Amino acid sequence: MRRAIRFWLVALVLASLGLVGATGTAQAAKAKKVSGSITVSAGASLTEAFTQMGTDFQKANPGTTVTFNFGSSATLVQQIQGGAPVDVFASADGANMQKVVSGGQVTVEPTVFAANELTIVVKKGNPKSVKSMADLAKLDVVSLCADTVPCGKYAQQALTQAGVTLDPAKVTKGADVKATLSAVSAGDADAAIVYTTDAKSAGSSVQAVRIPAWLNVYAIYPIAPLAASSNQALAKAWVKYTVSPAGQKTLQSYGFLPPPLQ
Amino acid sequence: MAVLLALVAIAFFVLPLIALLRRAPWSSLWDTLNEPVARDAIRLSVECSLWATFFSLVFGVPLAYVLARARFPGRSLVRALVVLPMVFPPVVGGVALLYAFQRNNGLLGGLIYDLFGFQFTFSKWGAVLAETFVAMPFLVITVEAGLRSMDRRYEDAAASLGATRWTVFRRITMPLIAPALFAGAALAWARALGEFGATITFAGNIQGRTQTTPLAVYIFLESNPDVAVVLSLALFAISIIVLVSLRDHWFGGIRDAGR
Repeated sequence: MRRAIRFWLVALVLASLGLVGATGTAQAAKAKKVSGSITVSAGASLTEAFTQMGTDFQKANPGTTVTFNFGSSATLVQQIQGGAPVDVFASADGANMQKVVSGGQVTVEPTVFAANELTIVVKKGNPKSVKSMADLAKLDVVSLCADTVPCGKYAQQALTQAGVTLDPAKVTKGADVKATLSAVSAGDADAAIVYTTDAKSAGSSVQAVRIPAWLNVYAIYPIAPLAASSNQALAKAWVKYTVSPAGQKTLQSYGFLPPPLQ
Repeated sequence: MAVLLALVAIAFFVLPLIALLRRAPWSSLWDTLNEPVARDAIRLSVECSLWATFFSLVFGVPLAYVLARARFPGRSLVRALVVLPMVFPPVVGGVALLYAFQRNNGLLGGLIYDLFGFQFTFSKWGAVLAETFVAMPFLVITVEAGLRSMDRRYEDAAASLGATRWTVFRRITMPLIAPALFAGAALAWARALGEFGATITFAGNIQGRTQTTPLAVYIFLESNPDVAVVLSLALFAISIIVLVSLRDHWFGGIRDAGR
């Protein structure tokens, strides 16, 4: 028994020494070009746009792998602060980015790379004739994002601004914006408040009812590489890509608004 | 070596529980439990799970009886279908229920809405339906096992003495399968209490109406971790009670064998 343990311990030490040596030479060889892999945690509303951008980026930079982790920004912050091995964080609002900045997980100034607005979505054909936020109060079930999710906070802001109060017994709260949307697109909810980009992505399964600009909420998306990332070069390259003309073109094709002047 | 692995296994189960106990806000426990969101969640959980257990009994016991006693073609297929919700992921069950019972485009949902003006989705009864769907198989399997293993000679004796089928069932069969019945009901109740995937997909997440305790824990993990932890402990405590009350059913056989 003891000899076996000793054998495996020695093998382990030798293997790790070998690994260290190998990576050392590999890193020296690829010092100039970006390579390797990163994990990007991004708000759920970025799902389609980032997936497309990931494909484009990986094609333009062979040898790189970008993996995405989509979810509600609040959940992503929890994961990052719990030590999740994430390289880049793209939040759907400043408040969640502020949490990781205060927590020390992000040590550089975040870049705002996109913006978004809210819209009401209803079933195709608008069977309940919803024309404004005020009409939401007379529906059976309205789907909103949960209160801590950025789109939930924005929705509450818009409703308060419009002077509309919804009966809590008629509001179902989604854990992220995609779940909120699916309550209308695939379920029985009469209406939902989601981003205009989500309404666009959902295509013909839903219909958007516009929230006028003077009552709407302007959502900004900050992005930053994480201090603990083991591939800083690639993480920064991704951040740069989101604000590059190519990245911006893709984002806007999915309905995102250009970012405000920094 | 075996002892080492066993210790790791024990730690695997015990550590998360200890971590939960450690994180609990003991000083404000009562106040947190009294928050409206926590009270609504617990009240809904208890109500819906009890209703689910009730329906599981009402429909599950006859089904178990038929599966155990009747011979008909396709019996094993029916048994497999009944066991299916135990095996596949709950959220898949929720999606399936959605396509069966949603008001728009649901197989039956539209009809039910037209006839009765009632929709399961986003209602308390939707939560009950989702929980019954996942919990009933546990009851059916346990009761069927009990029926198969009981001594049928008592039933035969009663019948030969002139008892009707219903009397035989009520006064002979039921008391004999009572332990299996309780165990099945307890398992079904515990499963219904913990149901999450099917509930959130099918019944939605409405505080006071469909936001059962597991849903509340999931939603409030970020914004109000105290509530999430306290609710988790509440469910944990109930699970322990179920386990302790079932120990004779699960471990009784082993204990007898050891004697």
